[in-house]
Amino acid sequence: MTAAATATQNASAAGATRVVLADDSALFRTALADLLERNGCAVLAQAGDADGLLDAVERCRPDVAVVDIRMPPAQRLEGLRAAVLLRRRHPGTGTLLLSQHLEVAHLDDLVGDSARGVGYLLKDRVSGPDFVDAVRRVAAGGCAFDPEIVPLLAGGGGRRRRDELAALSARERQVLALMAQGRSNTAIAGELHLTTRTVETHVRSIFQRLALPDETEHNRRVLAVLTYLRSV
Amino acid sequence: MARGVGIAARRDRAWGWHTVDPVRGRCGIPVLAGAGAVFGALVLWVSDSGRDADTTTTTFSGLVGGLYLLTGTVAHLRRPGRLGLRMVIVGIAWFAEDLQVSVHPVPHTAGLFLRSAASACLVHLLLAFPEGRLRARPERVLVGAVYLISLVLVPLGVPFYRSLTPNLLLVADHSRGQDALIDGVQVVFAVAVGVVLTRRWIVATPPARRVLAPVYGVGLVGSVASLLHPVLATPTAMDVNEVAHLATLALPVAFLAGALRVRLGRTAVADLLLALPRQPPAELRDLLARALGDPTLRIAYPRPDDAGRGAASASASASASASSGAGAGGAVGFVDADGRPLVPGPRDAVTPVRRGPRVVAALLHDPALRADHHVLHAVTAAAALELDNQRLAAEVRAQLAEVRASRVRIVAAADEQRRRLERDLHDGAQQQVVTTSLVLRLARDRLGPEPSDPELGALLRRAADGLDTALTELRELARGIHPAVLTEAGLLPALRALAARSAYPVRVVDVPALPALPDRVAATAYFVAAEAVTNAAKHAHAGEIHVHARVHGDRLLVTVADDGVGGADLDAGTGLLGLRDRVAALDGTLAVHSTPGTGTSVHADLPLEGP
Repeated sequence: MTAAATATQNASAAGATRVVLADDSALFRTALADLLERNGCAVLAQAGDADGLLDAVERCRPDVAVVDIRMPPAQRLEGLRAAVLLRRRHPGTGTLLLSQHLEVAHLDDLVGDSARGVGYLLKDRVSGPDFVDAVRRVAAGGCAFDPEIVPLLAGGGGRRRRDELAALSARERQVLALMAQGRSNTAIAGELHLTTRTVETHVRSIFQRLALPDETEHNRRVLAVLTYLRSV
Repeated sequence: MARGVGIAARRDRAWGWHTVDPVRGRCGIPVLAGAGAVFGALVLWVSDSGRDADTTTTTFSGLVGGLYLLTGTVAHLRRPGRLGLRMVIVGIAWFAEDLQVSVHPVPHTAGLFLRSAASACLVHLLLAFPEGRLRARPERVLVGAVYLISLVLVPLGVPFYRSLTPNLLLVADHSRGQDALIDGVQVVFAVAVGVVLTRRWIVATPPARRVLAPVYGVGLVGSVASLLHPVLATPTAMDVNEVAHLATLALPVAFLAGALRVRLGRTAVADLLLALPRQPPAELRDLLARALGDPTLRIAYPRPDDAGRGAASASASASASASSGAGAGGAVGFVDADGRPLVPGPRDAVTPVRRGPRVVAALLHDPALRADHHVLHAVTAAAALELDNQRLAAEVRAQLAEVRASRVRIVAAADEQRRRLERDLHDGAQQQVVTTSLVLRLARDRLGPEPSDPELGALLRRAADGLDTALTELRELARGIHPAVLTEAGLLPALRALAARSAYPVRVVDVPALPALPDRVAATAYFVAAEAVTNAAKHAHAGEIHVHARVHGDRLLVTVADDGVGGADLDAGTGLLGLRDRVAALDGTLAVHSTPGTGTSVHADLPLEGP
């Protein structure tokens, strides 16, 4: 608690990302908190179950909650249910769901009708290079979806989703998939070995083909991803 | 008196000698009846001159005697037993009685000895009807007494009886006293016989009454007419006399009719036998009740082995089987067709239904049915066959139910094992590796981007890569054992996930959401679909694989169809063969349609409610 309090002070001082963690394994929580603190985040509170998580968010109003999907008592979908609840009660708080395996069905439940400040990643990703970025993006109202969920959506998705995406070219779909992971245009350009300008052209084309309303760039990105992820 | 009974008994035995041949060979009775007819003709010829036109004409007398001989013969031919003999004897005795009518002193004197013979034989026939033998001791005593009087005491009185035709043996005349005495005795015996017959009617079952009815009806009319005749005015009396005569004529026919109705009762048993094999258990009781004419009839089954029943009721928890095991030690009682305990009431007669040494069941019925024991035995024998069949069928059904229940339990247990394994992998091994991987990441971060020992950095990276691979493999392993999404989100999301992960283009045909399915049904459907998809991807060279799951009525239908080369065979050692047992355990069916060139489709049809 003392550590958390200190962190809060540090965070408010530095404008760091304020995080609440929920996972039933104390070892994992500690390690994850360590990682986030080292990378400039402030871990305000840690919880071992869904109720603890909801309390902590109510109390600390963090920028983002990082939540394991399986928690006591049944070790089923307690984390998912808590995340859905959090997103409804605290739209300003990002929610990043971690899971040992990815399911489209769970993604649908989690995202609902807004892809703002939401993420769904394999738990393995915590030790990967992009994890802290993903936490920050979700905290800032962006999204972060696991690269592995994209082929699942393309392969097994419902008909309507596929129909809408049929309007896109293969390259545009690649770009959109990376957008869904929450990447910036620059990052996408690096990933696909394109110039940033070319990526920007693709993004504008995607917005047009998906007939997205003329809003701010940020919102349109979210909407594009949302279309990509959700259309049923 | 005792001596008299002895004589009567000896006489019975002597008649028994007569009956040996007639009963054994079917010609005996007709021959006896023929001899009786000859004797009757002789008597009629001898006595013709002494006839009184008002009472017993030659024609009437001959008709009555002849009818007894004829109906007795027919009764014997249609229903072997002593009844025919009794009737023929009544006919012969009838003619013997008529000897006294003769105006010639010798036959008249001989006739005086036998002047009550027909009455005695008729009483015997009445009381022995319809079986032809006496059943109870009071009846035997009564018949013995009647024989004693008519064949011993009456002949002893002959020397003291004066009649119109000269009695050659007349010693003294006490005819008036004799007549008064005989009339009195007749009244007493008529009342006694009436009591016995009335009592028999009261206890008789409907089928038994059907047999007795003709004789009782005619007998009643005749008796009333005979009683009224002497006290009525002349013109009416003549009519009543005609009625009495007609009743006398009709009586032998009534005996025959009754005897034939017994045969009809047996025909009902034959009908029962014909109807039995097609009867559902519930209707057996009705059928037996109808055949026996006892609507209160119940079928009681020996209480089945309690342990077997406990196990058959599928949800055999440890405590339930223990308590039923204790129950098996209790006394064996009766249960009804639904297995409820059945206690015979105080008024129930219990007739065991045996098949070999085994008591298959018991019939709880009206005690009066015992009077009709021929039919009761026949019905019991017919029922034994059917009940034993039903018992065996029920045993087989119970065993089958137990085997099926145990198959379902095995499947459910296997599913539970798989689920637990999957959970243990996720929450145990995977969680540990993820944590370790994260700690390793922290260690690498400490080392910084430019480690002083580059080799250590490389080692740590290799360790991290190894952990990543381990995690991927663990995840695939867990999914293969039991996909978590199946329990978390249901069959359709699991099928969609299966399709999404397949290297082949697999399309889950859009369907309205499925209702909540029992775990074992969802898991079985999933594994069938997974196996079929794997097979199609491996062997079919298909362009696309379609997976279709829908609920139709109370069944889940899953179809996996491809447009590949076809030629698949359920029996050709695919993984589907093992799944067929799993499907069968749930009372479902698994079928593969595959013709070369047109692709393969696998159909699983699973009941939502398990067996």
